[in-house]
Amino acid sequence: MTRALLLLAVAAGLYVAAAWSVAPGFYDGFGPQAPYRWVSPPPQFKNSNQPPQPGHGTAAVASTGVVNPGSVFTQDGQASASWAPGAFQAPADHSPVVIDIKPVATYPDPDGVHLATNVYCFTSSSPIAPGKDVLITLTFSDQLPAPSNVHEYQDSGPWRNIGNTGAAAPFSISARATSLGCFAGGYPAAAKQSASGVRVGGGQTLPIVIAVAILVVVLAGIPLAILRRRSSDG
Amino acid sequence: MSLSAVQGGAWSRPAALAVLVLGIEYSRVLAGRLPGMATASLLVGGLALCLLALGRRPADLGLGRDRLAFRVLGGFALAAILLLPAAVRWGGGPSLPPELAVAAVAVSVGEEIAFRGALFGALAEAGGPALAVLGSTLVWTAAHALSHPPAFLPAVAAAGLLLGTWRWACRDLVGPVVGHVIADLSL
Repeated sequence: MTRALLLLAVAAGLYVAAAWSVAPGFYDGFGPQAPYRWVSPPPQFKNSNQPPQPGHGTAAVASTGVVNPGSVFTQDGQASASWAPGAFQAPADHSPVVIDIKPVATYPDPDGVHLATNVYCFTSSSPIAPGKDVLITLTFSDQLPAPSNVHEYQDSGPWRNIGNTGAAAPFSISARATSLGCFAGGYPAAAKQSASGVRVGGGQTLPIVIAVAILVVVLAGIPLAILRRRSSDG
Repeated sequence: MSLSAVQGGAWSRPAALAVLVLGIEYSRVLAGRLPGMATASLLVGGLALCLLALGRRPADLGLGRDRLAFRVLGGFALAAILLLPAAVRWGGGPSLPPELAVAAVAVSVGEEIAFRGALFGALAEAGGPALAVLGSTLVWTAAHALSHPPAFLPAVAAAGLLLGTWRWACRDLVGPVVGHVIADLSL
């Protein structure tokens, strides 16, 4: 028993040492995110940065005259648009609707908002149908504060906050748009100074989980140990 | 029957299980990279891993209701150890949406049943407890090679070693299941 406990303690020590040597996060099942591709990388990513990639796709018009549902992704998967049947107005000649996604380097000043992703401009050969919308999804870096909302501008601006629909996957943020334009994930610039390294809007549950786990072990372990001692004495 | 044939038979089960586990894990990771498949791949992968325990008695897997309080308590202790290095340096993170949380539970349970349950049991039968701990840790690490960058693999291996050592020392799989689930849900 003593040998087993000793080996367990050694294994626990080895784990803590090994886990300490890498960035925080067990992320089993999901895996750490691939490095984010920046148009204008923050200083710490400048040496290793790869340029972001555009996306291109089409949506066919069904024989019923309704544009088929579909999705378009950038080649690196960092931005996408998904839509339901009839989301786009069908061209008169029933030709497919062409959708393009391009990361852009120049954009209006996002006054009061810190952009946490690249700015992606979405265009389509046919506009979104009245009363319909398209789901815009943007991934963000796992190394920097996360965006709290999706922001959008049309033509030359200004930016406006279009909220978010929640995350469908780790390190991504989505919002519904009733017209295409340019989109980015961001958070209030004022939050940056007070939350360096913090994922704004993200969960803060881990320290609580740790505290609860330790509390449970201590609180339940004491009576269990007493019971075991009593039963061995008896 | 020759000795080598007997030995070959003893090794065929853990070898087949290792190949199956790796195949399921790699398929799950690759499928999860397809658009919209993240949750489904985790759910199906977790279920497929659980199926590897079919035909084995719960006791052989380390499952049982005896000492349940101790087993569950051990799970909380394992979770605290698994999460400690991240918690100390924690800067916040995105919360898992409900569907991904359910998928994370499925894959955590599936991985424990496959690695520390079925594979551990088969390796222990073939070569004893030391081989079971080290062999299941080796396959567990290899299974994460696609989903984690090389720099993370020593930490993954150390987590496998810790969970495998608990499985051997306490003859218990409930603790690793509870610890793994809490760890995955929290990060």
